[in-house]
Amino acid sequence: MKNIIIIFVILISPNNVLCRDKKKKTNLIYKYKSYEKFDLGNLEIKGKVIAPGDLSVKDRARRTFSRDLFDRSDFNKEVIQEIKNLR
Amino acid sequence: MFIYRKFILFISIIVVFITIEFAYADINTSYEIFRETQTPDRDRRLAIDLFQSKYFFSSLAFSKNYIAEINKIDPLFEIYIEKLILKTGTMSFSYMQEKTLKKHLYSPSIALAYGFRLSQKKKWQQALRTLTVIPNHHRFSAEARMMEGAANTMINKDLEAEKSYMNCIKIAKELEEISSVKKQGRYYSILKDTCAIHLARIEYKNANYDKSMELYNLIPKVSYQWPFMLIEKAWTAYQLEDFNRSLGIIVTYKSPLLSSYFFPETEVLKSLSYFKLCLYRDSLKTIEQYYKVYKTRSEALKALLIDHKHSNTYFLKMMFAPIHVVEKLNPYIRNLMTQIRKKIKFSIDLVAYKRVQNELKNLQKLHSGKLSDILQDELKETLRIRTTHLNHFIKKKMFDFINDIHRFSYEMFNIKIEILAKKRDLVWKNKMLIADRSRGSHKNISRKAQEHFYDFKGEFWADELGDYSFGLKSNCELIRVKTQASIESNEVSK
Repeated sequence: MKNIIIIFVILISPNNVLCRDKKKKTNLIYKYKSYEKFDLGNLEIKGKVIAPGDLSVKDRARRTFSRDLFDRSDFNKEVIQEIKNLR
Repeated sequence: MFIYRKFILFISIIVVFITIEFAYADINTSYEIFRETQTPDRDRRLAIDLFQSKYFFSSLAFSKNYIAEINKIDPLFEIYIEKLILKTGTMSFSYMQEKTLKKHLYSPSIALAYGFRLSQKKKWQQALRTLTVIPNHHRFSAEARMMEGAANTMINKDLEAEKSYMNCIKIAKELEEISSVKKQGRYYSILKDTCAIHLARIEYKNANYDKSMELYNLIPKVSYQWPFMLIEKAWTAYQLEDFNRSLGIIVTYKSPLLSSYFFPETEVLKSLSYFKLCLYRDSLKTIEQYYKVYKTRSEALKALLIDHKHSNTYFLKMMFAPIHVVEKLNPYIRNLMTQIRKKIKFSIDLVAYKRVQNELKNLQKLHSGKLSDILQDELKETLRIRTTHLNHFIKKKMFDFINDIHRFSYEMFNIKIEILAKKRDLVWKNKMLIADRSRGSHKNISRKAQEHFYDFKGEFWADELGDYSFGLKSNCELIRVKTQASIESNEVSK
């Protein structure tokens, strides 16, 4: 049973000896056209051409950004400061 | 006549000089007592003898020794401690060892010193427990009630705080009336006004702005606290949405009488008030002015002071230097110095500082001996501490000002961004404000029945200070922007 499991593990391992032969590095060379001209004027588009009607933009609620402006909720800092002014 | 006056002046100077020179009695008895073996009783007698010879700071050293050694302060010595606090300040006792202070909390004078220390450390509950020892008829009860009020405010017990402040006002008023010394009377007057301002502050904190404004209006214009309180009154008007009044109160600081009182916060409030009236151009102009003038000047002031930030004497020396020398350094220095001089803390500490100096000079004139050497060393140390303390007070005020300018420039930036956002929103909504700039009108001034109205013609009259109001109309009404297309369609429909 042990032997069967070991053989099975070896077989399913991606780096096994059988697979290694197939992974021979091949030098692929990609060649691109050095120059190609498109005549956009002569291009034909298949289908119906519909003339644009009224422009319409979907209205969406704009997000309003508001910053917390300076405010004075109390004068506690001054209250503490006054203690230091005592003789 | 002129010669006679000169003679009188000369005699007065001589008399003052003699009085100062002979204010200190000799301390021969103290020398004799000092020769005895060191016991608490010897320290007590030394403290009393030195006090009676008007060597208050020297007496302080032996008083502290005595208090640390004994378990109970007797009523007679309690009176001496009271007087020592009056002559040398609460600070002299408040920085004693904590265990010594805790041992004598039954003594009102020690309770005041410890309560002061706890308040500085913001230990409000402990401070409250300590200060209750001081009864209302005690000499230090006005100070104690004020500190109690502050402690209650900080722990949000506003009703108790109000009670404490009401007591403080009552006691300080009585003490002011019976004070024979002018400076002492002034001290209690300031204390009374401070407690009254605290009452207004409680109402402000609880958003009872109408009540708060009423209380602020009760502070007399001759009070030392009045110029410092104006900004709070302006904030109250702002919270009441009376932005014209808020702007009017702020403009009081422009009067020649109050030109030394420059607070960066007033500029922020001014800009905010314009902003709330949708007068964006005025608001932006205030911000621009702030960056151009105040920030640049404060940076120059910072560059000037930063090199001396570790000095323990530079700022105090600056206060003693002739004003024409100092004001050349930076335009703000003179203003700041005037503000600092008006602070009661500075006046009291300065008097104590000079007392130590005089006492030390007199000791140095006495014949040398072990007692004299000990006292001189003690007073030199006291003088060093007092110098550092005063110097730190001035330094802190100056750097606080610089930091305030920096802090509020961030707030100004926020307002500027908000104005830009509001303007952008107007463009998106295809709307505009009703006018580019509002003009003043009597109709826009909200005033009460007892208030009278006079036009402002560029003159600041003392009785009018603090009662100004702008007459600007709110510009927040929006109208649709008239585009070329809408104009054409209107014409067609006609």
